[in-house]
Amino acid sequence: SGSITGLLSALCDCSLSGVSWKRRALGGVSREGFHRALKKRAYSALLSKLFQDGTKGSPSRPSAAANTPPRNKVLMMCFDLRLAGCREEAEALEDQLERLPEGASSGLKEVDSVLELLVSLAGSAPPPSTSF
Amino acid sequence: MASATNTNLNAVRETMDVLLEISRLLNTGLDMESLSICVRLCEQGINPEALSAVIKELRKASETLKMF
Repeated sequence: SGSITGLLSALCDCSLSGVSWKRRALGGVSREGFHRALKKRAYSALLSKLFQDGTKGSPSRPSAAANTPPRNKVLMMCFDLRLAGCREEAEALEDQLERLPEGASSGLKEVDSVLELLVSLAGSAPPPSTSF
Repeated sequence: MASATNTNLNAVRETMDVLLEISRLLNTGLDMESLSICVRLCEQGINPEALSAVIKELRKASETLKMF
């Protein structure tokens, strides 16, 4: 479904991929029950953030970070990566940013919002495991 | 008409490929499926910071489940 509720439900499904339900069913944890609990937490996180944004400071003085375009934030991350000695990663990120089309040519309505989301999630996943 | 639709589909596909690669380089933990859902939620007007909070919350919850 393309509705917000349908998409949030699909996001909950994604976060349950890879979970084995056979063993958990024995302990009384059903997929449906856990899916419902996840949806509740998702809505709670979404709404609390929205209300927090609505009461945060005066709209006439937004923070510098809030005013920085997401593309500039990514460039700042590239700079940080270079400082940390990760030149290859920085160059790869700059290359991809150059390839990212702007506005209507991207085919998406909100490409900058998606980039803003990626910036917010940067480094939030555990580092890839190294195999021996 | 069909050609314009194809052009737009190609543009979306290319943009999604670049976004996925940026996502990988930034270590966001999003795969193509969840990235596509997030793109659609952003297109519906969901605030990206609020969406980020939702994703982090869902990860926390599912990690707790995976521990048991």
